[in-house]
This record gives sequence, C-alpha cells and structure tokens, in this order.
Amino acid sequence: MTETRAIETDIGGPLESAAPADGLWHRLESTIFGAGGIVVLLAVWEALPRIVTLSAGTKLFFTTPSQIAETLWQMFATGSIWVPLSVSASGFALGLGLAVVAGLPLGVLIGRSPTLNAMLDPFITAFNATPRLVFLPLIMLWFGLGLWAKVIVVFIGALFPILINTYEGVRNADKTLINVVRSFGANEWDVARLVVVPNAMPYIVAGLRLAIGRAVLGVVVAEFFGSESGLGVMMVQAAGQYHVDKVFAGLIVFAGLSLIMTAAVQVLENRLTLWRPQRAGGE
Amino acid sequence: MPGYIQGRNVNLTFRPPNRGPVRALSNFDIDINEGEFLSIVGPSGCGKSTFLNVLLGLVKPDSGDLQIQGKPIVGPGTDRAMVFQEFGLLPWRSVQDNVELGLELKGMARDARRKVSQPLIEMIGLAGFEGHFPHELSGGMKQRVGLARALATDPHVLLMDEPFAALDAQTRDLMQVELLRVWQEARKTVLFVTHQIDEAIYLSDRVMVMTKRPGRAKTIFPINLPRPRDYEMRTTPEFNELKLEIWNSLKDEITV
Amino acid sequence: MSDQAAPHQGFASRYRNVLLGLLAVAIFFAAWQAVFLFVPFNPLFISKPTLILQALVSLLVSGDLLHDLAISAVPFVYGFSSAAVVGVALGIVMGWRPRVGYTLDPIMIMFYASPLVALAPLVIVFFGVGVSGKTIIIFLLSIFPFIFNAQAGVHAVDRLLINVVRSLGGSERDLYLKVIVPSVLPYIVAGARIAVGRGLIGVLVGEFFAASEGIGYAIARFGDLFALDKMFACILCIMIIAVALTEGIRLAERVAFPWRVGQ
Repeated sequence: MTETRAIETDIGGPLESAAPADGLWHRLESTIFGAGGIVVLLAVWEALPRIVTLSAGTKLFFTTPSQIAETLWQMFATGSIWVPLSVSASGFALGLGLAVVAGLPLGVLIGRSPTLNAMLDPFITAFNATPRLVFLPLIMLWFGLGLWAKVIVVFIGALFPILINTYEGVRNADKTLINVVRSFGANEWDVARLVVVPNAMPYIVAGLRLAIGRAVLGVVVAEFFGSESGLGVMMVQAAGQYHVDKVFAGLIVFAGLSLIMTAAVQVLENRLTLWRPQRAGGE
Repeated sequence: MPGYIQGRNVNLTFRPPNRGPVRALSNFDIDINEGEFLSIVGPSGCGKSTFLNVLLGLVKPDSGDLQIQGKPIVGPGTDRAMVFQEFGLLPWRSVQDNVELGLELKGMARDARRKVSQPLIEMIGLAGFEGHFPHELSGGMKQRVGLARALATDPHVLLMDEPFAALDAQTRDLMQVELLRVWQEARKTVLFVTHQIDEAIYLSDRVMVMTKRPGRAKTIFPINLPRPRDYEMRTTPEFNELKLEIWNSLKDEITV
Repeated sequence: MSDQAAPHQGFASRYRNVLLGLLAVAIFFAAWQAVFLFVPFNPLFISKPTLILQALVSLLVSGDLLHDLAISAVPFVYGFSSAAVVGVALGIVMGWRPRVGYTLDPIMIMFYASPLVALAPLVIVFFGVGVSGKTIIIFLLSIFPFIFNAQAGVHAVDRLLINVVRSLGGSERDLYLKVIVPSVLPYIVAGARIAVGRGLIGVLVGEFFAASEGIGYAIARFGDLFALDKMFACILCIMIIAVALTEGIRLAERVAFPWRVGQ
C-alpha cells in the first residue's frame, strides 16, 4: 500500500485540447466556442420563463441570471454581504493556514522516514478515503457552533491533499540528483535545500490548489449544518424562504473565493517554477 | 610502486530490502596511473558504475583497500568529481548555477565562483547560455554543463559514468573529440565507464574488461595508438584489431 | 536480478511495512482505551474502543445498521450509476469532438469550481428528502470526475497505435476493442475512484439535512442523543466502506491494467 499511494493532483482537471495552433482562427477557436457556450446557456436560462409558462410551484424555485446578478449587486451595494462573507472567510483562512502549517512538515517527515510512513499509512489512507463530512456531528459536539468547529472542518478537509502531495514530492526526489550534490560534499541540510525542497515544490502547489477546493467545501458544509452565521447559513435560510436568487448569489461568491485563491496559487506557482518546460498549449 | 589510484580485494554486496543480496564487486583489483585515461567496459550490471560510486565515496565497500595518492577513501572529496550518465543537472538551476554547484558547496563567495565558472563555460562553448535552464538545452549541451561542473572544483580525478550514453551517435562523436581536447589541456586522471568498445579505444590509454557480476578485472588492454588522435584513426587496421580482441574478451561475459 | 538464488527471507522483513502499519493501528486503539485509566471518562463527550465495539455489535445484531446502510445505498447506486453513464458519454463526446469540448469546457470548469454542495438545500427543498433528492445531489457531485477523466482518456489515445492497428489490417471494431477502449477505460476507472468519495459526501449531505433514515441520519441522530459509542460505530462503519470501495477500485485497477505502472 505504501508504495502505490496515488498522488493527489487534480487528475480530473480539464485537459488543454491539442489543436494545432495555426492562424488567428485556430488560436481563437476554443475561446470563441467557450464564450459562446456560456452566452447561449445564460440566454436560454434567461429566456425560458418568457417562452414557457411555468407552473406556480416551479416558478417559486426558478430564478434567472438577471435576477441573480441584481441580488448580488444589491448585496454588495447595501453591504449586507460583508458580515457573512468575513465570517466565512476567516474560517476558511484559519483552517487552510493550519492545514499548511501542519501538513507541510508532516509530509516532509513521512517522505524522509520509511518507518514513520509505514506506521501512519493506514491512518492517512483511511482518513483520505472517508468523506470528512462524517465527522461533522462529532466536531459540532466537541467545538459547538462557533468559529472553531468550522476551522476544524476546513482543516481536516485541506490537510490531506497538502500532506500527501508534500510526501510524494519529497519521496520522488531524484536519487541521481541527491548523489550529485552528495558527491560535492553536501550534508543532509544541503540535500534538502538544493534537491528535495525544489523538487517537491510543484507537488506542494498542486496540493495547495486541491486543498483550496476542499477548504471551500468545508466552509459551506460546516455552515450548512453547524453555524450561526456565515455565507452558508445565509444560503440555507434563503433556500428555506424560496429566495433562489440569493442561493445562487451565495454560490457565485463561494466560487469567486475559490477562483481568486486558485489564481493566487497559480501566480505563486509560475514564479516558483520558471525552470520547468512550458506546458504544451499554454494556459 | 603503488598506483595513483590503487584498489585491492574490494568487495561489495548490496542488500536491497525485500530481495536477495546482490554481490556487485568481488576481490576487485585496480591500479591507475596519474594522468592516465582508463576505460572500463563490461557487461550490463557487472558493477562498473558501482565501482565509480565507491571511488567517489558515495558507497562504502564491505572490505578491501582503496586508496588515492596513498590515502584511503572515506567519503566524497574535492579531489574527485563525477560526470553522470543522465547529466544530473538540477533542473531548477541555470547553466551558470549548475556549473558553480560544487564551488558553492565548498563555501566559495559569489564573485570568486564567477571567476572560475566563466572561463569554463566559454571552454565548453556555452557562452551566452549562462542563464538558460537545463530543459532549454540539447543533450550534448547538457553534458557539456555536466563536464564543466565536474571540472569547476579542479579535481585530480574525473570519473565518467557512461557520460555519452544518452546522446545520439553524431553528438557522441563530437563530445568524444571535445573530451580529448579538454583532457589534453587539463591533464586529469580519467576513469571512463562505457558500453562502447570504439569509444573506449579511441579515448583511452588502457581499456579494462570486467567479468560479469560479481565484477572483477578480467583483462587490461594497453592502447598504444599515437596521440593526438583523430576521427580517421577509427578506420585503421590497428584500431580494428584491438576492437576485435577486446570484443572477444568481452563477449564471453555477456549473457543475453 | 540476482544471479544467485535469493536466500530465504524472514516473514518480518518481507511484510515489514504491513506489520508496522498494523502495529501503529493497534497502538492507537490501545492508547485510546488506556488513556481513560488516567483521565476521567465522560461518555457524553468521548467514547472508547471497547464501548464502540459493543455498540457496533448491538447495532449489527439488531439489524439497525444494515437497515440504515440499505436505505442509504439506494440513492447512492442510482446517483452514482447515472453519473457514470451520463458523465462518461459526455466526456467521450467532449474529447472526441473538439468543438463540443471547446464549447462545454468552460461551463464544466465553472460547475466544477463552484461548491455544488451549496445547491443541496435547494435540491432538498425542491425534490424532498426522499430518494430522488439524495440521488440528484449524489449525481451532481460525482459526475465531474467521470466527465473529465473520460475526456482525458480520449485525448490520451495514441494516434500512432491507431495507425499501427490500421496498417496491420485491423477493422473499425478492432480499433475500438484493441486501442480505444483499453486506453480510455483506465481513466474512467480512476475517475470512478474519485467519484466514490464525492458520492459518499452526497449521501451524507442529503441525510444530514433532512432525513428520517439512512446512515448519515443515524450519525446525526446519535450525536444529538449523545450516544457517542453508537455514533463512533457508525463513523467507523462509513470509514470501512469508504476504504473498501476506493482501495477495492485501486486493486481492481492494478489487476485489470497491470501495464499502467506507476500511474
């Protein structure tokens, strides 16, 4: 089991299509089709209630993009978003920060020590396979409905991608390169500084990206079931009152949070990995 | 008179986890003269690369006596440097920073390092590529960097572990010429491991054939071809005769 | 590798990692049990392994646990299998027809990036707390790994191999059976492994929200009742199922696709 623990990357991440980049049309083709897809989707959604008569019951659950945009705009304009957003964001930031602080050193440790790795492997495998949501009632029982329950939920969600990727990155350090620096008289610290850490960097960044998604999920779930305030609480209340536009507005804010963080990690990654060959196709 | 590098009864057995032990070297004897170019050829897995790692000080033999200039080898040292088969360049470091790796680990200051690395980079013909990363270089260019890095610490002994095996045939030929030129200038003692008999003869003062594992020295062929050597020499009858002799010695050791 | 026959190796050295793992698990549970010799035990706050084991046995004997599992399994099977069918079909079309891919990629990325769990309250309110609501949540959460992996699998089909089979006189059928399916299938199975975890999240979300039966409901209810031994027993049960499903698929991958070394 130890040897084959699969690396956590966004394996499901969409692939860049391998079209020959020839001429303006070819270069813009994917963008045009992609933008077109989104525009058509929004237009059909917007036009639907005007074309089809919805039953009274369905109407209650229906909203349109323009309504969602309007609600979102109102939330920012009146400032009603800031309190729940800051509550959610602080839970997110604290949990993710703790996961990084704990996951990085632990990952390095089990990457360098086969014994420790063998001993912790059953726990990591079990916790990683299990949806962390299962611990939610327990965490609420232990930590109550406040900030810390949320932080813990985010933490256990984000910890494993960081931990496992750090471990893989450390373990996959090229033996030849370690020999190279050793042959020049490097000590353990030099080996870590010159080979192991730079090698693990792309893995860690990939883990971080995955962890962001899990952390957002953690915030949402924790707030759905065990919080007094936050964006998720606002959404559950809105759903109960049939304010569907407000639910979608909350979803968009969460997605935005996730996208901004991912973009920040992307910037970090590009700065850290200038030395890597450009991926085919580009971003 | 003891050799510049002298090995007597060197034994080494690997004990990999979950597998049986592998005897890599058995009563291995070797003598290398100062400034000599010695090649080692042998069947795959005969322990020739292992021996280089032992000489480099990365692997400790189980028993036996191994000395350089009368001093036993206890670990890596700046009197020896290795050129690796897969180049072994740190992918996150530029050409210049790769060349300076050994100097940096010796604790040399940045300016002093530049003074050493710059002429070396010029010598290997990579002036203008100092800031490039390894992935931007061709295989031949990468191995030039590997060679410059090994020379930067000014070692007495250069260990080369199939350094040109990952290159295409033409690049390989050019790199051999280049290596001879550098060797003629720098006058290092070179220990060169290869699979190619041609390459061994063309470069070396002596060629050592090893037995199959556990590896021992089987025969040593002196190569008394005049230097400087040129490419045409490979077509002379003397060259081909040597090639045949060495092949005859080697082929008994090879099991397909 | 070795010329000599490998000498007999001790059991301990061959299974060193497995033994170390088992040892660590044993130590963990022993320490958990032993710590209450020194710390006062409060059954409303924590449980201990012996009590959890008793609770597990009693839940198994009474049939409650199996009943809840069976209840939860129904929407899981529906949601997961429909996600597999729809997701693989969609992914293959997106991989095969570049323009369909271009058009749908951004939309799929958008959905994938947004925490779709956030739509759960809406789904529950609309479809109710029964099988249909849970099925839809599970479907929504587990479809994306299938889409993206099927698409990646199609992209990974080696054009050279297609030409090889064609040049050897292979028919279209050979092309599918000998090249395309073996290339795409490992991706889909890997996607299924990821989707299992997300599907289980769907089960729990659906049942935490509003349900009167099911394993997720059982965990939440035992929590409300401060019956921590039973709660831990159910959590343990979910962990075992999750590990069995993901590791089972991983094992199947290794058996079925032995050529995919190190993937």
